[in-house]
Amino acid sequence: MDLVCEVKNLRLKYPGEESLLFKDVSSSFCKGEKVLLLGPSGCGKSTFLQVLSGLIPKSIEVPMKAEKILTPSSWGYVFQDPDTQFCMPYVDEEMAFVLENLQVKREQMHEKMRVYLKMVGLHFDDLHISIQSLSGGMKQRLAIATVLALHPDVLFLDEPTAMLDPEGTKAVWDTMKQAAQDKTVIIVEHKIDHVLDFVDRILLFNQKGQIVADGPKEQIFSRYRKEIREDGIWYPGVWEDYLRDKQGYYKKTPLKEQVVIELEQFKGYRKKEVKIDVPYGKVHAGEWIAIVGKNGAGKSTLLHSLMQFIQTTGTYLLLEKEAKKIKKLSNMLSFVFQNPEFQFVTNSVYDEIAYSLRIERMKEEEIRTKVEEMLELFHLQKHRHQHPYQLSMGQKRRLSVAASIVKKQPIMLLDEPTFGQDSSNTFQLLELLEHYRKQGSTILMVTHDEQIAKHMATRIWRIEGGKLVEDEIHSCEDEQMYVQI
Amino acid sequence: MDFDIKETWLHKINPSLKLLFLIVLFISVLFIHNINFLINYTVAAFLLFAFFTGHPMKRILLLLIPFVLIFVSTATSMIFFGKGETTWWKWGLIHITEESFYRGLHLGFRALIFALLGLMFSLTTRPVFLFYSLMQQLKLKPKYAYSFMAGIRLIPIMIEEFQTIRQAMIVRGVEQRKGLANFFHKLKAYSIPLLSQSIRRAHRIAVAMEAKRFSNDTKRTFYYEIGFSKYDLCFVLYFIIAILLSYYAAKMLPFFPVTDVRYIE
Repeated sequence: MDLVCEVKNLRLKYPGEESLLFKDVSSSFCKGEKVLLLGPSGCGKSTFLQVLSGLIPKSIEVPMKAEKILTPSSWGYVFQDPDTQFCMPYVDEEMAFVLENLQVKREQMHEKMRVYLKMVGLHFDDLHISIQSLSGGMKQRLAIATVLALHPDVLFLDEPTAMLDPEGTKAVWDTMKQAAQDKTVIIVEHKIDHVLDFVDRILLFNQKGQIVADGPKEQIFSRYRKEIREDGIWYPGVWEDYLRDKQGYYKKTPLKEQVVIELEQFKGYRKKEVKIDVPYGKVHAGEWIAIVGKNGAGKSTLLHSLMQFIQTTGTYLLLEKEAKKIKKLSNMLSFVFQNPEFQFVTNSVYDEIAYSLRIERMKEEEIRTKVEEMLELFHLQKHRHQHPYQLSMGQKRRLSVAASIVKKQPIMLLDEPTFGQDSSNTFQLLELLEHYRKQGSTILMVTHDEQIAKHMATRIWRIEGGKLVEDEIHSCEDEQMYVQI
Repeated sequence: MDFDIKETWLHKINPSLKLLFLIVLFISVLFIHNINFLINYTVAAFLLFAFFTGHPMKRILLLLIPFVLIFVSTATSMIFFGKGETTWWKWGLIHITEESFYRGLHLGFRALIFALLGLMFSLTTRPVFLFYSLMQQLKLKPKYAYSFMAGIRLIPIMIEEFQTIRQAMIVRGVEQRKGLANFFHKLKAYSIPLLSQSIRRAHRIAVAMEAKRFSNDTKRTFYYEIGFSKYDLCFVLYFIIAILLSYYAAKMLPFFPVTDVRYIE
């Protein structure tokens, strides 16, 4: 078989790190193969992909050495973040950027753009459409289209769906199945539901950056299921396995008497337009409400309205008080943003958690006991002196939650807290939330994950077109009660 | 940041030519010392700005507000405190003379003309076309042109982030302290996440661009072929005629009896 890509005894070390990321790693790839690289976060899969494509060391300078290295003559690379792979503002201009690089004649450009966009299933009447107005899934498909224009033999995909909702994820993989049939494809991905029927070979890395297994997917899955699970990979069946282990932890409890939020004819406005409309809603203490709905339906807007970031009208009672008359909502509501980095205001993990307490002018000793308690609960003890930015994805997320809820506000608002997290981090976070819920906290959480809505939430709010259209309460004996609004 | 704009002939002018010609105009304005001439010239620039940029009148007037303020502040400071011999009014530090009055007005109009021409340029030039034109007509290296264009793409993303950070600060209860210390604290709280995200983004975009075979050494074709047209001629002629007419009108029908506002001892 034709080799298209090979490395032999690769050694690589990031500057500033103590040990080698790779020590004598070898692998080779043949023409037409579809290979999936699996491994825990931080094991170097993405770096490996960059070495295979030649981006390291050509575009990203990292000290490395290899006995032999063969990079494909023509290749394309799709990155994780839909917002940082385009340099132009419009679809046609971005496609043109690639065609210009390839010195395609100007007269042929329009026709070629149509061809490549059709391959990825994107149809626009006018190609001059702003990239910013596209959904994440469409952006990633556009990225694939621009890459296809390079006529690549080999496609490198670096978690192309990590930042997409389920719908976008499916669309991207359906596109890949159609457009990349005859190409060699090497993929790094955590969410492997849709990838599995596309790939035929799996490379399994361990925490130390070694390849522990390499073979047909069926074989790897049957032999290394335990390792795959420990690595935090979203393999099919991960939820069933997890819930079996945690049987009885997530218990549906009967509704409590105390009402914490009451909404009636509640509307939230952006630019004077109604963006979210809740005709009626009553939230009891100890409820876990999953707010679900399509992209752009108004889920985050609902949280922003509750937090009074935007203008609202109608009745909004918080613990029987009118929310507009409450001076500091942050004493009753905690809010966790999608991107944890935006919340960090201090230089160390310890200070970050202590921050809200210090604002309240609490005594340092008292603060210490509270912070220590949080550090332990959120598994951050070892990192107390680190800068928040130096933490891993999962740690940052846990810190952002810990720092938000340290004042023990009765109500938590969370905007897709499990977004982009691997499975072990997700489960850890969900367990923490359940721990607080059992103590009486109320949770309102925007999520795309059907499983969380089904298994963890005690209630589901479905938002469609800026309106709360369905309110579904799971009561204690798995009977469901629907409230149609 | 999408605006509803009607495309006018000003949009169709070659951006490089527009830029260079405006720079020439900017410099030439510095050599006009006759206030009557300058007022006529300002009117000519205002006509273009107000009626030919294709933006709705409301936006035009809104944009004008800060520049009218600049006009007033530049003019008054010279009028009140400038040197002069023919005193009109004196009160404490304020000393208005005939000479300082005219010189003040003159300075005000000069500031206004810069603002009008500059606004007219930015309202009628898409950055993408400007950089394509700079690459084609002035042989700017694609490396620089594309870095700017990629940078412009980041601005709306940064604005969005800024809002998120502001909300995050409210949630954390940050808005409590006052004074200078708080100002620096805020500056740090906003700029560090914004900068760290931007640096990361810029690096990623750069890698993505190279992954799409962008390089410095190859020749490239251009999606937008930006050339010259009759509109360029219109634009240049408009200003030549406007300048000549302004000069002539200043001679024939002056507003003020002054022809040189400079102060001569």
